[in-house]
Amino acid sequence: MELSKFLNISIKLNIILIISFSISVNSFIIFPNVNNTFYVLFHLTFIYLIFYHYHYYVYVVAWIYGILFDILLLNYIGAHLITFLSLLIFFVLLKKYLIMLSSYQIIFIYFITLIVLLLFEQFLANFIYDYKFNLFLILNFFLISLIIFIPTIFLFNKLDK
Amino acid sequence: MAPKFQIKVFQLSRFLKNFTIISVITISFLLVFFSKTDYYVIYGIKSVSSSVVVPVTRFISAPINAFSNFVNEYNQFKSLKFENKILQEEIIRLKKWQTLAIQNSRENRVLKKLLNATDNNLILVKTASLINRNDTIYSKLINLNAGYEDKIKKNMSAINERGLVGKVIDTTAKNSRVILLTDPNLSISVKSISDGIFSLLTGNGDGKYLVSSFVKENKMPRLGDIVVTSGTAQIFPVDLLVGKVAKVEKNRFFVLPFVDFENIDYLQIVTSK
Repeated sequence: MELSKFLNISIKLNIILIISFSISVNSFIIFPNVNNTFYVLFHLTFIYLIFYHYHYYVYVVAWIYGILFDILLLNYIGAHLITFLSLLIFFVLLKKYLIMLSSYQIIFIYFITLIVLLLFEQFLANFIYDYKFNLFLILNFFLISLIIFIPTIFLFNKLDK
Repeated sequence: MAPKFQIKVFQLSRFLKNFTIISVITISFLLVFFSKTDYYVIYGIKSVSSSVVVPVTRFISAPINAFSNFVNEYNQFKSLKFENKILQEEIIRLKKWQTLAIQNSRENRVLKKLLNATDNNLILVKTASLINRNDTIYSKLINLNAGYEDKIKKNMSAINERGLVGKVIDTTAKNSRVILLTDPNLSISVKSISDGIFSLLTGNGDGKYLVSSFVKENKMPRLGDIVVTSGTAQIFPVDLLVGKVAKVEKNRFFVLPFVDFENIDYLQIVTSK
C-alpha cells in the first residue's frame, strides 16, 4: 500500500519511459522488432504523459530523452529533441481545444499524434542530417502502433484508475 | 500580510517555470545548431551518453538481453549437428585451398623480393570488443570498448576476420562508435577484383545487402565477383574484403557482405600506413 501510494501515475509513467528507452536503444539480434515496439511504446507513453499529466517538468524530460535518443540512435542532436519540444509547445497552444473533445476524439488524436511524431522524426533526420528516409521502418512503426495502441491505452487506463 | 506573501511566491515560481521553459528551448536550438561540431559541450554530452547512459540502459535491458542470448544459444545448439557436417566438408575444401595458398604465398614472397615491394599497408591500432549495438532504428551503429586513449581516431576502419565492418565515426576517452557498412548513410568506394570496375556502395536499408549508388562508366561487374575497397576516397585502406556480387540489374548491382553483422564480437581498428 505504501509503495502504491508513493508510486503515483507520473512516477509509473516515468518508469515506463526509462524502461522503454533502455530497451529501444539496445538492439537484440534475435528480436529486432522488440526495439521498434519499445520505441513506439516510449512515444505512446510520452504523449500520454503530456496529454493527461502535463507539468512543467515534462520539458526537462523531453529535453533529456530527446538528446539521448538523438545521440544514441543518430549520433547527432536534432530530430528527437525538436520533435518532443514541438509536441509540448503544440500541446500548450492547443490545450484549450483538446479539453472540449470527447474521449473517442482524444484517442483518435492520440493515435494521429503518435504517427505524426514518428514521421516527423524521420523527416527531420532526413532534412537536418540527410539520413535516408526508411520506408520499411515507417511501415514497421505503423504496424506496431496499430497492434500495441489499444492494449497500451488499456494499460494506462488501469494504471491511471 | 499573508496574501501578499503568497502572491510573491506564486509569481516567483511562475517566473522560474517560464525561465526553465525558455532556457530549455534556447539550449536545445543551440545544441542542434552546434551538433555537428566537436565543441566541448557536445563532446561532453556524447561522452556522458556513452560512458554513463549506455551502461545504465544495458543494465535495465539485461533481462531481455539474457533471454535473447538464451534463444540464440538454443538455436545454435539445435543446429549443431547440421553445422558440424557442413564444417567437416568445409575443412576438406579448405585443406585443398591451404596447399594452394602456401604455394602462392611462397611465390608472392619471391616476387615481392624481386620487385622490392612493401609488405602490408595496414596498421593495427587496437582490437576492441562490442559493448552494445543500436542498429535497428535509424542508423546502424555499434559501440566499442576502446576510445582515443587507445589511439582510435575518427574515420579509422573497423575490420574483423571476414573483412570490412565499418568506419569509426566518434570517439570518447574509453569508447568509440562505429557505423556499419549496411547503413544507408555510409558510402564506400570499391572495385571488383576480376575486372577492376570502380563503384560506390551504400547500405540497402534491409541490413543485408549493399547496393551500388554509382558505377564508373556504367560497367557492371559479373555475378559472384569479389569486391574490395578501392582506397580512392582515402578513408578506407585499399584491398579490404567487402563482399560478393549477388545480383546485377541494368543500372545497379547488389553485394552480399562477407561480414556476418549479426555475429560481431571483436573488431580490429586499422588504418593505412
